[in-house]
Amino acid sequence: MASSNMKDIKRRIKSVESTKQITNAMQLVASSKLRKAKEKADNSKPFFNSMYETMCEIVREDATFSSIYTRKRKANVTLMVVIAGDRGLAGGFNANVIKLAQNRYDEIVKAGQDAVILPIGKKAIEYFEKRKFKIMTRYENIGESITVYGAMSIADKIIDVYNKDKIDRVELFYTDCVSPLLQEEKHMAVIPVDIQTDKTNISLTNYEPSAEAVFDSLIPRYVAGVLFGAIVDSFAAEQAARRIAMENATDNATEMINSLSLVYNRARQGAITQEITEIVGGANAQE
Amino acid sequence: MKSYKLKIITPEKVFFEGETEQIIVRTTEGDLGVLAGHENYVSDLPAGPFRVKIDGQFKTAAISGGVLKVSKEVTTILAMAAEWADEIDIEWAKRSQADAEKRLKETKSDFEHRLAEMKLKRALNRISVYNKK
Repeated sequence: MASSNMKDIKRRIKSVESTKQITNAMQLVASSKLRKAKEKADNSKPFFNSMYETMCEIVREDATFSSIYTRKRKANVTLMVVIAGDRGLAGGFNANVIKLAQNRYDEIVKAGQDAVILPIGKKAIEYFEKRKFKIMTRYENIGESITVYGAMSIADKIIDVYNKDKIDRVELFYTDCVSPLLQEEKHMAVIPVDIQTDKTNISLTNYEPSAEAVFDSLIPRYVAGVLFGAIVDSFAAEQAARRIAMENATDNATEMINSLSLVYNRARQGAITQEITEIVGGANAQE
Repeated sequence: MKSYKLKIITPEKVFFEGETEQIIVRTTEGDLGVLAGHENYVSDLPAGPFRVKIDGQFKTAAISGGVLKVSKEVTTILAMAAEWADEIDIEWAKRSQADAEKRLKETKSDFEHRLAEMKLKRALNRISVYNKK
């Protein structure tokens, strides 16, 4: 009885140990990927900031400015770009950003409007396909190797659809890698561009060919920049989340192995004690 | 020659940040030189060559579409991509030229056609900058 119990415990310890090895390896992989991804994400920020600032300046300086990308249309159809990961085992990373998008979707539907989804990452695709959402195009396995041109081709597609009046608004859902320990899901309105016009530093600037033409040609680049930044940022956040999740899993496995070893040793000791008692008892009986 | 601050930023990185005496860029309206003290100016840039003068020496780069912004403090170029002439991967540029030409012939829709055309222009720009280095 005691020995079969011991065998069971031994087997469990072994299985937990092999799980621990896997989670430990995943943690190492995630932290090395995180370093690279975080750098890429940080490098993409200056572009977005200057681009946004330039666009704000154009609008600010020209009182008669008007562009189809800033005017608020009556929002009938919203395109929701949802960026999640391609894999699970990253704590709440995928669930959190999808939940944020789902809440927004419910809001839109409640207001009597319609929404179309553009999921990026396998987990987002799975979620929205399973629930039969309207999907525009799907992109998977692009997070790690995204290039500027990749982001540009997505942006061009979105703008093409926008110009054909099939969608009236574009919103983006992604995860910001604030620090290796903190990821935050974010919701951002991409089109119409939300321009801040409160600052008034009017300097006379010469626009060629014209302010509107420059602005409109900036839009595809702006959207591409935003998408590129968000995809890179989300990938970094995914790695950070996975690293934390796997670190916790490894810690839990260690704890489990310790408590199982305690139980195993106790059982082993019990078995030895019983054996000695039996031998002593047998010897005493022979006397 | 008086110098001024220049910044070239792409989504991937800050490509260049430093002092320059003169730049020559290709805008949609034609080639344009910018010296220190230029008026405030913003222009659209198609894929084109770009030259920057540092310590009396011109350096050439290829720029794949963007915007030029000249202001009193700093001149900024926001480009989708930028490479110095000697960093251009010429094999890759030739491959993407061939790919773009193939797509131009095959594709039917206006939208795809426009994308392929832009890709071809970027590839040809890289090749011409590389050949002139």
